[in-house]
Amino acid sequence: MNILRALVCPVLLCAALIGATMSPVMADPIEIEHERGILRLDVPATRVATINWSFTESVIALGLDPVAIADPQDYVDWVAKPDLPESFVDLGPRASPNLEALRAAKPDLIITVPDIGMAYEKLAEIAPVLELKLFDGKRPAFETAREVFGKIARATGRETQAQAYLENVDQKLIEYGKRVKTAIGPDQKINVVFFFDESNVGIFAHTSLPGSVMTAMDVPVAYDGEVNKWGFGRGGLEILAPYAKETLVYTTPVPEVILDKLLNSPIWKVMDFSRNNRVYELPVVWAYGGVPSALRFARLLTETIESGPQ
Amino acid sequence: MSNAAARNADLRGTLSLPAILTGILGILSLVVLVIDFWPYLANGNITQALLSPDETDFDQILFHFSTLPRLAMAFLCGAGLALAGAAIQTVLRNPLASPTTLGVGAGVEFALTLFVLLAPASLAMFQEAFALAGGLIALGAVYLIAANRGNATLWLILAGMIVNLLLQSGSQIILLFNEQYLQSIFMWGAGDLAQNGWEDTQFVWPRVLMGMIAILALSRPLDLLALGDDTAGSLGAKVTVLRLLILGLAVFITASVISAAGMIGFVGLAIPAALRIAGLSRSRDLMIYSVFTGGFALLIVDFVVRQFNGLGGDPLPTGAATALFGAPFIIFMLRKARIMPGNQNDDQHSDQQIISKTALSIALAVSLLIGVVFSLFVSLDGNGFVILGWQDSSLDILIGRSERTFAAMICGAALAVSGTLIQRVGRNPLASPEITGVSSATALAMILALAIFGFGQRAELMVIGAAGGIASLFVLLALCRKFTHAPHYMLLNGLAMTAILGAMVRIVLTRSGTQTSMLMSWLAGTTYFTSMDEVMIVAGVTGALLILAIALRRPLELASLGTDQSVSLGLGISGFQFAMMLLAAILAASATLLVGPLSFVGLMAPHLARVAGYRLAGGHLLGAVLIGVNVMMVAEWLARNMIYPAQLPTGLIAALIGTGYFLILAIRKR
Repeated sequence: MNILRALVCPVLLCAALIGATMSPVMADPIEIEHERGILRLDVPATRVATINWSFTESVIALGLDPVAIADPQDYVDWVAKPDLPESFVDLGPRASPNLEALRAAKPDLIITVPDIGMAYEKLAEIAPVLELKLFDGKRPAFETAREVFGKIARATGRETQAQAYLENVDQKLIEYGKRVKTAIGPDQKINVVFFFDESNVGIFAHTSLPGSVMTAMDVPVAYDGEVNKWGFGRGGLEILAPYAKETLVYTTPVPEVILDKLLNSPIWKVMDFSRNNRVYELPVVWAYGGVPSALRFARLLTETIESGPQ
Repeated sequence: MSNAAARNADLRGTLSLPAILTGILGILSLVVLVIDFWPYLANGNITQALLSPDETDFDQILFHFSTLPRLAMAFLCGAGLALAGAAIQTVLRNPLASPTTLGVGAGVEFALTLFVLLAPASLAMFQEAFALAGGLIALGAVYLIAANRGNATLWLILAGMIVNLLLQSGSQIILLFNEQYLQSIFMWGAGDLAQNGWEDTQFVWPRVLMGMIAILALSRPLDLLALGDDTAGSLGAKVTVLRLLILGLAVFITASVISAAGMIGFVGLAIPAALRIAGLSRSRDLMIYSVFTGGFALLIVDFVVRQFNGLGGDPLPTGAATALFGAPFIIFMLRKARIMPGNQNDDQHSDQQIISKTALSIALAVSLLIGVVFSLFVSLDGNGFVILGWQDSSLDILIGRSERTFAAMICGAALAVSGTLIQRVGRNPLASPEITGVSSATALAMILALAIFGFGQRAELMVIGAAGGIASLFVLLALCRKFTHAPHYMLLNGLAMTAILGAMVRIVLTRSGTQTSMLMSWLAGTTYFTSMDEVMIVAGVTGALLILAIALRRPLELASLGTDQSVSLGLGISGFQFAMMLLAAILAASATLLVGPLSFVGLMAPHLARVAGYRLAGGHLLGAVLIGVNVMMVAEWLARNMIYPAQLPTGLIAALIGTGYFLILAIRKR
């Protein structure tokens, strides 16, 4: 490690010096590592198109209005905050953003996910593309989200804002973490779950966004079973049974019919968390989002738990 | 068969094969029950757990409110679907008919998906009626399409396949636009038996029981009339009413089961068919045995499935699993069942032509030219028509549009050639590339590579897809090697493969999360992801094979006259048939690589061409290509522009056009 550093450092230093002497006037091009190698931008992007909500909210949080957004209607229902800008081009579904609409928006940067990697070449013909992975099944999602946030900030020349934003997030998470722990008591762990239907649930583990944010808050995550790429485990209500002594928080939106059936079902009622009132309903927050959603999750979790079980 | 039946008749009253089969399944079910009940049997608190569980004991509550209702539901759904299948098979006298193969299941599923996502809560009480109507309409459509062919076994099944494909893609589209609820609806759609309380059981049991009693009551007079329409002809209308009533009840049971538990495939087909092969011939016996055998069978399958659903991970839906277990059974059954191909050439129309072939060809070519120009320069942007003017980006926009338009057109051509070959060699105007299973296998290989193994590059996926398509073709050829004389078997084997692959696609989709929407739009046939290079490659393959097919038009002509004549003319018909099927499969696979596995162009274009008067093989091929290209071009424009900025899959629009065509055709012929 040390030898490597000893070798690399002078090389980098030389490169930096040469770079500095060669082009004293021109600013260095911005270089960002992404799924397709390294993206080079001569100037920071100002007209950004976002194909994924996580990027949409991050760009908005950095104080820039995206010029084109995929699935804006569902964003309102599932991500809720930060608010979308007043005017932008609607790109249609995230799975197949409309290329002609995208072109008409004249973006100078398109931020997308590997999930629609098949469309990369087509997007790249319109504007430089930043393809960023949000979930890989191993790395805690909050860590990835922070890195992605940093990359978006670099691409848009807003690194100072990002720095300040992240510092604020760190501070807030510690504060929220303390408040949550005071509210639930020292021995309690928390399970954040969501409902597929009245008999199937998903539980967020420590690699998911909610789970990794809780880890950053120093709030213990209860679930420690198998998970998928997004960091949640899935099964019948019985997978909650081993964690019945812990606190349970469920996310929304959930169709009312399903929620009614589920909360009144005997299996739900027998669980210790519902017998002893440790069930909380979280307001809408995007559980697969970026840093702004992470902060929002931490705040809503804290406020929900402090205002008492429902 | 008849020997077995006779022997069986002798043995009635003692031990018969169906009784042994049912007995074995019954004993296995008992084993399942003992395993599930064991903890409480050992404790001695089984009556408490069964009747009034201890409210503080989680295991007892779980047993009482999850395990028990799941067992009950599995038995009820299995019994109901098997009985519905037996009833439909008896009434239509078709050993391959069932709620799933005749589109009833897909109809109910489509209606429910539509209702759940779009209907306001105040209409909730009409949900059941809506589901029932969906099933009946689907069955009606299948019946209409097949009716003018005397409802021969094969026609009915092929018509069922058409309606099934259409409705499934319809459901998928609704889901595409309600992406957030995908996961839950997928679980239900794939047949999920997980229970939380007795509500579902209480919904299903009275309905299934009522349907069963009614069907059994009606089956006694039916049995007397089962000698066939001809002998019962004097009773005329009475028979028809009886049959329609029984069909209606079968749909009612199916709708109830699917509403509560989702699509559970193949129980309704495999159970009665197996019992029939085992020697049951009287419809009443068949139905009674079906109830128990079906119930036991699903109970056992569900038990096996439950063992895979450990803690965490992704659960395996029971319905998709039954399709996996059940579909291979069709292949086995095809070796036993007698298939009635129906009358040959009954689809021939009078030789008088509406317009001359030359005029028609010119008209199609002109519409193609105008259409291409229109497709490239005119679009909708949500406010109205926009004509592409001259700006900096015009060229890029044109390239983007031409990529997609040409991709659609090339696929139209490839599928038209593929369909013409299959229809001529199979001598079956309802045969199509979709049902050889090659398209599904290509799709499945690509989906597995993408969702499970993480291949993201299109080039890799294309190679994997092509390999999958070719592999499936060899499986198909191996399965059919004993049936070289009957292309029908090839089609039916293809149908079984399509079903198996469809089940696997469902399982993969329930497991793959957010990539699902990209997979689904591709499955429904979008041109969104195609690039010019790919279009060029597929165009090359299609062109070369089209030329080859036209060069072979004489033997093709002979092949479509029928095996007997061709053999007597000294033509090696079976080898040639396989060669043509191989060509057709390669074309279908290439089209699938570009725009996914679905579109009825391969079915519709050759059919339409023949009706329009292109009779000889060479002209038939060219006519079909012209029509196919035109249809896909129109479908592509509609798909891109209809609901801007969102885009629909081209294959789905083509499928809608195709099904509409067949329904109109069927109704006009009445």
